[in-house]
Amino acid sequence: MSTVGNSTNIFWHECPVGKSERQKLLNQKGCVVWITGLSGSGKSTLACSLNRELYSKGKLSYVLDGDNLRHGLNKDLGFKVEDRTENIRRVGEVAKLFADSGLICIASLISPYRKDRDACRALLPESFIEVFMNMPLEVCEARDAKGLYKLARAGKITGFTGIDDPYEPPLKCEIELSYKDGVCPTPVAMAGKVVSYLEEKGFLEEDKERN
Amino acid sequence: MRAIGGLGSGSFGVIREREGRKGLGELGLGLARDGANVVRFETGGRRKKVGKVVLALEKGGVQQQYVNGMADGAPGENFHQIATVGNSTNIKWHSCSVGKLDRQVLLGQKGCVIWITGLSGSGKSTLACAISRELHSRGKLTYVLDGDNIRHGLNSDLSFKAEDRAENIRRIGEVAKLFADAGVICIASLISPYRKDRAACRALLPEGEFIEVFLDVPIHVCEQRDPKGLYKLARAGKIKGFTGIDDPYEVPVNCEIILNQKGHETASPCYC
Repeated sequence: MSTVGNSTNIFWHECPVGKSERQKLLNQKGCVVWITGLSGSGKSTLACSLNRELYSKGKLSYVLDGDNLRHGLNKDLGFKVEDRTENIRRVGEVAKLFADSGLICIASLISPYRKDRDACRALLPESFIEVFMNMPLEVCEARDAKGLYKLARAGKITGFTGIDDPYEPPLKCEIELSYKDGVCPTPVAMAGKVVSYLEEKGFLEEDKERN
Repeated sequence: MRAIGGLGSGSFGVIREREGRKGLGELGLGLARDGANVVRFETGGRRKKVGKVVLALEKGGVQQQYVNGMADGAPGENFHQIATVGNSTNIKWHSCSVGKLDRQVLLGQKGCVIWITGLSGSGKSTLACAISRELHSRGKLTYVLDGDNIRHGLNSDLSFKAEDRAENIRRIGEVAKLFADAGVICIASLISPYRKDRAACRALLPEGEFIEVFLDVPIHVCEQRDPKGLYKLARAGKIKGFTGIDDPYEVPVNCEIILNQKGHETASPCYC
């Protein structure tokens, strides 16, 4: 029996069906692909592309999109610093559950603060794959896929990442995606790079050594 | 538009398409496994590009249509407007071309939520594990969301005050919904004593995907078991607001399954 945070008198319940049994069933290893970057850098697009590439290989993945989660689990949170931190914390915890269930969980959210992303990484030390969409602000703003930069420049949104709130780029991420020779790679090409990484590291098959 | 359509069900595979002398980008699509029919598959465009591809799958009377982009870059589709939901302003729903039906086809099962409710010591965690084991032995993917376990992570910031219990249940309901959408049979096991909170979780899921299981075990039996020593602490006044002692448990009025446990029998129901 223990106390964790504000939860007193709680027990940990184990089940006979655990992570390795589920991984064997799915023939893959659960993990979290954490896509971070400015608004408009292409995170959701990459997440969907990756989702599709993995599906075509018979692998089960699920996208946790920052905006989508703000429609449900995180609808009580705004965009103040502490709310962003809590948003990321919750998404990290949910992603951890998904990875434990054997799924390849693709989290796609700006997640601008290094400290918060690192806290998520600490939840999953061996299965956290940080993907940085390193697209220049000018490119993201030119795209302005959701019209938010325009609103931000007009002062109608305050604390907007990249305009009047910082984005702290990763110092040591697993994959960095950026322009090559002045050209933005296609979503399929970028997804391919992530899939190759997952394949290389053995996430697209069960842990044969253990079984 | 050139229709290929009417492919019917078959084993999981890939369609490749090439047109034109210079060749096109390849188009890979997964065919439905048995159970889902491909009712429409159209592709068209000029020689150098594959244009819009429309694929409609039908399973159990439910049709789902996908519109893929071009072969060399098909983004997810965003077809909702910018909105405000709760405190989250300027958000937009992002859809993906791989949806709920695709995952069901891949897994050979339908995601849903089995919500096990009952007093502390009524056997919820035990039942959750038994269901999980039974389904796993049938090749089905399940995941248990145990109230206590979730309070070690996602809900570690919540106490047992009424408003925190409500938030605990709300969050677990939302997470269970995500798992069900992912195709997983999600087994939520938590006291969840208030009817209103359980009803709110039910409302998150489509009809038929929320299966409430009430473990109807008398309090004296639960207290006799006292597997975690909590009734003893509650009776001694060391825990306040303990369900069944000095906090109410509101029995479900219309749940899908009621399990009465007598003595030391272990229930291992079949979920069909």
